[in-house]
Amino acid sequence: MSYRDDNQQSKLSAFFGSDTFKGLLPFIGLVVILGLMYWLTEGRIVQPKRLRLLLSQVYYPMIVATGVFFVMTLGSIDFTEGSTLGVASIVISVLSFYSIPLAIIGGILTGAAIGAVNGFFHVKFRLQSFIVTICTMYLFRGVCAYFTTETAIPASAAIKALDSDGLKIGITLAVLVIAFFLFRFTRIGNDVKAVGSGETAARFSGVRTDRVKFLTFVVAGALTGLAAFVNVIKVGSITATAGNQLETQILISLVLGGLPITGGSKVRFSNIVVGTLMYTVLNNGLVMLGFESATQQLIKGIVFLIFVALTIDRKALKVIK
Amino acid sequence: MTTGNVLLNAEHIDKRFGITHAVNDVSLTVNAGEIRALIGENGSGKSTFCQMLCGIYTIGGGTFTLDGQPVNVRNQVEANNIGISIIVQEMGTLSGLTVAENIFLGHEDPFMHRGIKDTRSMIREAQKLLDAYGFNGIRAGAMIDSYNFEDRKLVEIVKATYMKPKILIVDETTTALSQNGRLELYKIMDSVRADGRSVIFISHDLNEILTHCDTISILRDGEYIDTVNSKDIDEDGLKRLMVGREIGSAYYRTDYGKEISSEVVLSVKDVTVPNQISDVSFDLHRGEILGFGGLSECGMHEVGKAVFGASLDRIGTVVLADGTEINDIPSAIKHSIAYASKDRDNESIILNESIRNNIVLPSLDDLAESHILKSGKLNRFAQEFADKMQTKMQGIHQFVSDLSGGNKQKVVLARWLGKGSDILVLDSPTRGIDVKVKQAIYALMQELTAQGKSIIMISEEIPELLGMSDRILIMKDGKINGTFLRSPQLNEEDLIAKMV
Repeated sequence: MSYRDDNQQSKLSAFFGSDTFKGLLPFIGLVVILGLMYWLTEGRIVQPKRLRLLLSQVYYPMIVATGVFFVMTLGSIDFTEGSTLGVASIVISVLSFYSIPLAIIGGILTGAAIGAVNGFFHVKFRLQSFIVTICTMYLFRGVCAYFTTETAIPASAAIKALDSDGLKIGITLAVLVIAFFLFRFTRIGNDVKAVGSGETAARFSGVRTDRVKFLTFVVAGALTGLAAFVNVIKVGSITATAGNQLETQILISLVLGGLPITGGSKVRFSNIVVGTLMYTVLNNGLVMLGFESATQQLIKGIVFLIFVALTIDRKALKVIK
Repeated sequence: MTTGNVLLNAEHIDKRFGITHAVNDVSLTVNAGEIRALIGENGSGKSTFCQMLCGIYTIGGGTFTLDGQPVNVRNQVEANNIGISIIVQEMGTLSGLTVAENIFLGHEDPFMHRGIKDTRSMIREAQKLLDAYGFNGIRAGAMIDSYNFEDRKLVEIVKATYMKPKILIVDETTTALSQNGRLELYKIMDSVRADGRSVIFISHDLNEILTHCDTISILRDGEYIDTVNSKDIDEDGLKRLMVGREIGSAYYRTDYGKEISSEVVLSVKDVTVPNQISDVSFDLHRGEILGFGGLSECGMHEVGKAVFGASLDRIGTVVLADGTEINDIPSAIKHSIAYASKDRDNESIILNESIRNNIVLPSLDDLAESHILKSGKLNRFAQEFADKMQTKMQGIHQFVSDLSGGNKQKVVLARWLGKGSDILVLDSPTRGIDVKVKQAIYALMQELTAQGKSIIMISEEIPELLGMSDRILIMKDGKINGTFLRSPQLNEEDLIAKMV
């Protein structure tokens, strides 16, 4: 083989191996899945009614995913979103009979408190985050079940009356815009990324790594608490299954969106939006195509496996903190 | 050139990594019974060359012939089987295994009986080997993880040499070893030569090379330059060949008798870190280079961390001239203290980050305008200081993990230049760095002290301590054991006497 061939080949493979291309993959994936669903449902998926339904399923996962995005940028992981959402939803529902603002604040504080428990054990006892949050997931899932086993917990009529696309879009957009600003233009984003890329070196560069990690978990919890509010105004009453499996949905959405599970410098804010959309489109499409829920799970599993195998950065693979 | 039986013949060896031509048509021969040094700056291709020989990399082009047989091995075990073994630069032992399992890794067959491993006889054999090498302190049955870096290197040496390879490759191993460990290694190299076998020895320490090697081959930018006899050349001559131009005599400082300022900028009082250092007290003066020397476990590296507020469980005080106490890293950085760690890849820089983000990280608070960071401003800042350090890079957005050791260190220094730190704690600032960058770092240190900045230089290299320091503190067993002032009469033996 002559050198010229060698170079041409390496240029092409360099492009496919490059970060630019890897960054584009989630977008390509979203377009492919959208196109596929459009074709399979003969266009029904973009009917206004359908789109509205699709969007209504995007709001609260996107808010939750924003918080988890920061946690995963640290190179950590959080499995408590579902149970946090359940507990916070109970608090919001109960408080909604007294005052709506109180209910919102109560929900956010509940989420923040659960995040603080996670952060405390992760930072102070140097436990890996996935161990800590799996334990607390069971703990708070238990709390949620305890209050909801007998009967579902209803929310007040006043809070249900708030249900409107305008409010939900407003809250979601506000969260995204503020989070984007903090991530991109302040020390916060830099510090979180630095911890994810190299915690020891970040500490030696003056980043207060323990504080950063603790606060990130608190913020992620608080955002889940806020998402619980959006959830309550939509569903109106809380059952034992509230938020069930949310953690895996969020994790998969973010990975589909291109977020490297090792966190660090290669994360992109767009991972949140692209990933959540892709998950929702796929989910809705499968429902529209009339698959049974068992078949849906199976198909989802296969799609995720293929996507992850195609996109994951094997060079960066190491144990999650 | 000595004439003798050719043991290894390398013809037109070539290797590319993407656009980098790492080894470019290198041909050389190594005779039986010879210790051959392979030298060159970082990135000159010496490690790549050796790693092709022992199957770590595939051979890109050309042929190796060992004892008349072509070498075509796919991994290290196959290389071992035909008589080639290597001791690598970084950690070459596997954690989670015992010392014995590490020594016989890939060669377990003699201990296997119908698929079952006879652990006891393996440990017995390994212990015999360790004892024969004089490493009685290492237990063959113990987990490798219970030993420190140096002891693990000794285990690697046993692993690489017990089967009497025809060619032993020693790739920058000595930087990880203390004086004692080095002496052991030199003894083994001498015995390999006495047996009529050969050693290929890679090191940046030219003095070590001239003392222990017979012949020296020089590579530059992947190309073969020349092979010379050790007794026909000196350090300056080697540097000239490596760099390809006159390096000049201004390597270390040449001035003597500089008055040390009476102005104290930093005072360390009765600092103790459990199991590391005890009751260390000293003053750092304005414009001074204060050297710290000692054996690798003497505690000097912890002194650097203690000054930077990075030690856990520190007792005692570190106080600046204005009375500010330094107790943690953020306050150290805020009060103009910089730190370059010996463990560069883990503690000094974030490998999986861009050059830009590494340079701006300690200065983010200064660069923010009412808490907002602007990309353009950060880029200009990073570019300015990367350029000032003459960092060889494709651009400031290149990842640091792609850079050579010398360029990584330039990034480290660039960030602290950018921060404008007045007190620099440099731990092993030239570790694993080639002469050209070394010279630049020494020049920078002199420039900084001339501006009134103060430097604590911790070093395992005695010539560096003698050549650069205004004062030298020698540590032993966690305590300061001797103080020396800069003087042309001061020599290595004076310092070593206080170290051991």
